[in-house]
Amino acid sequence: MRTPKKLLAWTVGSAAVIGVVGILSARLSPAMAAGGARPLAGPFTIADAIFWGVAALTVGGAAAVALSRNIVYSALGLLAALLGVAGLYVFLSADFVAVAQVMIYIGGVLILVLFAIMLTNRIGEVNISNASMGWASGGLLSAVMLALVLVVAFEVPWNVRPSGGNPTTAPIGHALLQQWLLPFELASLILLCTLIGAIIIARKEIRAE
Amino acid sequence: MSITTSQYVGNVRDTVKSFWHGMSVTLSQVLRRPITIQYPDRLEIPVQDVLPPRYRGFLEVDTDICTGCQACERACPISCIQIEVEKDPANPKQRVVTQFDIDEAKCMFCGLCVEPCPTGSIQHTREFEATQRSVRNLVFRWADPIKPFPVYKVVKGAPYIPRAPLGSRVKDLLAQRSWDAVGTSYLPPEPLKPPPPPPVKPPPAAKPAAPAAAKPAAAPAPAPAPAVQPDEPKP
Amino acid sequence: MAQFSFAFPKPGTKKLLVGATLGAALAIPALLAGLLVFLVPMVNKPLLDAFIREKLGHVPATWVGTQWVYAAALFLAGIAMFTFAAITGGIFSWYERRVAARIQSRIGPNRVGVAGFLQWIADAVKLLFKEDLVPGEADAMLFRAAPYFVVAGMTLVLVALPAGQAIVVADLDVGIFYILAVTSFIVVGILLSGWSSNSKWSLFGAIRATAQVVSYEVPAGLAILVPVLMAGTLSTQGLIRAQGGWPWEWFFFRNPAAAVAFFILFISQLAEGNRTPFDLAEAESELVAGYFSEYSGFRFALYFLVEWANLWIIGAVATTLFLGGWQIPGVSAQTWASVRGAGSFPAFGWWALQFVSLGIFAVKTLFLVNVVIWIRWTLPRIRIDQMMNLCWKYLVPAGFAAMLFTLVWQMVATWAPIVEKITALVVFAATVWVTWRFLQQTRKNVSLIAHERVDLSNW
Repeated sequence: MRTPKKLLAWTVGSAAVIGVVGILSARLSPAMAAGGARPLAGPFTIADAIFWGVAALTVGGAAAVALSRNIVYSALGLLAALLGVAGLYVFLSADFVAVAQVMIYIGGVLILVLFAIMLTNRIGEVNISNASMGWASGGLLSAVMLALVLVVAFEVPWNVRPSGGNPTTAPIGHALLQQWLLPFELASLILLCTLIGAIIIARKEIRAE
Repeated sequence: MSITTSQYVGNVRDTVKSFWHGMSVTLSQVLRRPITIQYPDRLEIPVQDVLPPRYRGFLEVDTDICTGCQACERACPISCIQIEVEKDPANPKQRVVTQFDIDEAKCMFCGLCVEPCPTGSIQHTREFEATQRSVRNLVFRWADPIKPFPVYKVVKGAPYIPRAPLGSRVKDLLAQRSWDAVGTSYLPPEPLKPPPPPPVKPPPAAKPAAPAAAKPAAAPAPAPAPAVQPDEPKP
Repeated sequence: MAQFSFAFPKPGTKKLLVGATLGAALAIPALLAGLLVFLVPMVNKPLLDAFIREKLGHVPATWVGTQWVYAAALFLAGIAMFTFAAITGGIFSWYERRVAARIQSRIGPNRVGVAGFLQWIADAVKLLFKEDLVPGEADAMLFRAAPYFVVAGMTLVLVALPAGQAIVVADLDVGIFYILAVTSFIVVGILLSGWSSNSKWSLFGAIRATAQVVSYEVPAGLAILVPVLMAGTLSTQGLIRAQGGWPWEWFFFRNPAAAVAFFILFISQLAEGNRTPFDLAEAESELVAGYFSEYSGFRFALYFLVEWANLWIIGAVATTLFLGGWQIPGVSAQTWASVRGAGSFPAFGWWALQFVSLGIFAVKTLFLVNVVIWIRWTLPRIRIDQMMNLCWKYLVPAGFAAMLFTLVWQMVATWAPIVEKITALVVFAATVWVTWRFLQQTRKNVSLIAHERVDLSNW
């Protein structure tokens, strides 16, 4: 009963997203070529194929997170989406950020999410995902967001640099510890406060007598 | 739960020390010779020679020094020994053993038969390999009904009783049979020629014989019954 | 008493069997070394461009096939690395069983081939022919997918793991960080396999494994920071280039804190690889086999492949970070450059040196692999609270201390390099002395039992 509906939702959702992105990027590709970027311009290379694969992985993973009824499958979709984003970072020659993405989001956040799912009760029947999908409002919101993203992508005068394997680790290190030292330390201080706060909230009250 | 600094340092020191000694002990094991005996095909010496001397393997009867006293048969708690002693038809003064069967499939290797033997004829050996396709082939027959062996008379004052080397007889016996030999269809051998005189005797002993016959029936097979009857009136 | 025979192989072994085993024992490492030395350095843009220009006669920048040559080179390198991992994993499975047997006064598998060397092939074939069972109540898709996550985590590590001067598939600028990151795929695979099996043993094993791996990533990361601080780079090859060929040029000896960090890293890696004494996730006495209890056949084999290939990774990472990697004593970067020659393709001597560097790296790694196996059969499994205590109360503070000490040490070393040199020699001498004392202790332990002596016969 539910499977056809789910399949339909998946198919329609993915097709709509891919279709809109495809049409818009095809229409906007001359603009991109003029702006110096070159997707869809020139011959279709292996790198392009990998890029589209990674992009599909990201979008498909995100769709799986939203549409899957099984929460573990949702977590797996999150894995795909995060991995896809890491791949996109690689395409942007941001190697450190890509690896940090894998390290923090897959090695940390996703594992914690999976861990939390498995430590909850009734793990045998995890059908507690969000089943209500407001198609109209969701579609409207998506359209607005898509338009916004596209406008930002094509209208903002990006500081475009030639792609290349320039290592980014050392510049990031210098930026964090020289130029932006105070914000960096403040951010870590906030994280430390959060940690201590979490411990205080979570621990048992042993002094109360 | 909280520990002092000295305990903390002590824990680290203990870990390092026990690690040091443990690793050294296991490394010394690597350098030693494994004690594994690769039975059965990669033995430097026969496995029987590796076993301890008082190993309880198959029972062996040295028929040359068996006195036919049947002490072992009586001592056996599970009746796996079956002995028949008769008078030699040719020489009435000489008693002969016509049957000396040990069911090694039934034997529990307790050693109780070895202890009462006056001459040390019955002994445990270190032999244990006698895989047989038919379990009946595990009945070792030490006496030949056709050629029964005479009982041994202990010579008074003899310094020792000469015994065949322990295990040699069992080895001969084992060498004679192949593992897939066809098993006999009955357990004890039927005497080829039933002794003619006994059938006359039973009628007077018919009454006590009937309950007595029930007792041997518990023994491996019904066949012994005719052989037992001649003995019944004797006591 | 018959004569004891110490001959190896035993007299009477079939000549064909001896030949086959010795052939395999020589051919497999040769094949692996050849694969690594000749395929992996080719994944290098200048070399491939030279190949296209001079052998194929095209201009690399404009030719359509350039990308296909690149892709083919990457594909071949991937195959080479995976073959390497699979075969070393297999051989380690045999080797570990033999060493375990010796430690327990047994002999171990010694029937398939001489000394049982071909046992791992027999085991692999047996596992491949077994039925690929999926439990009826399991989540079939995730159950089938989980082993591939584990294998992917192991294989991705090999991308940045060096094995020689030019033998690394991709000398990533974030190499060691990347290795730490992709290891998390193994955790995802373990969690998914534990959950999808729908068995309480599997789930408990998975949760234990995850808690353990996530905890021990902290001391491992702190320990890795020590050589990173000393080298000033995250690249695995850069870390090795910052060290030297002679032992006193290794990071392990150049800084007292680095020696501590080495042990922290080694312990953390044991825990992350679920090796004894941290194998709570697969504790046989409590959890059947932990997260892979329900697996059989090929997928079961994949878990074991990863476990033993992890042995190589443990050794290789520690060697890269602390023990000088592939550096050949007395061969400097200038020597490498001059041996390579000015041509677009390296000269013959360069390839020979590659083999030497691979050999040096392999010897160091195999030594650590031996230590891992040796620890496994020495220490009993620890309790989960002891494991967490060790991590958070001992290793993490020690890791922080080592890191802070290294910061100070680097300042001292820049200010007065002689201090570092003297320390390296002193620590090296101390290590030699400790090793000597250890061997003496072992000799004493051997002779503690009467009539015992060092005897390596009875294979």
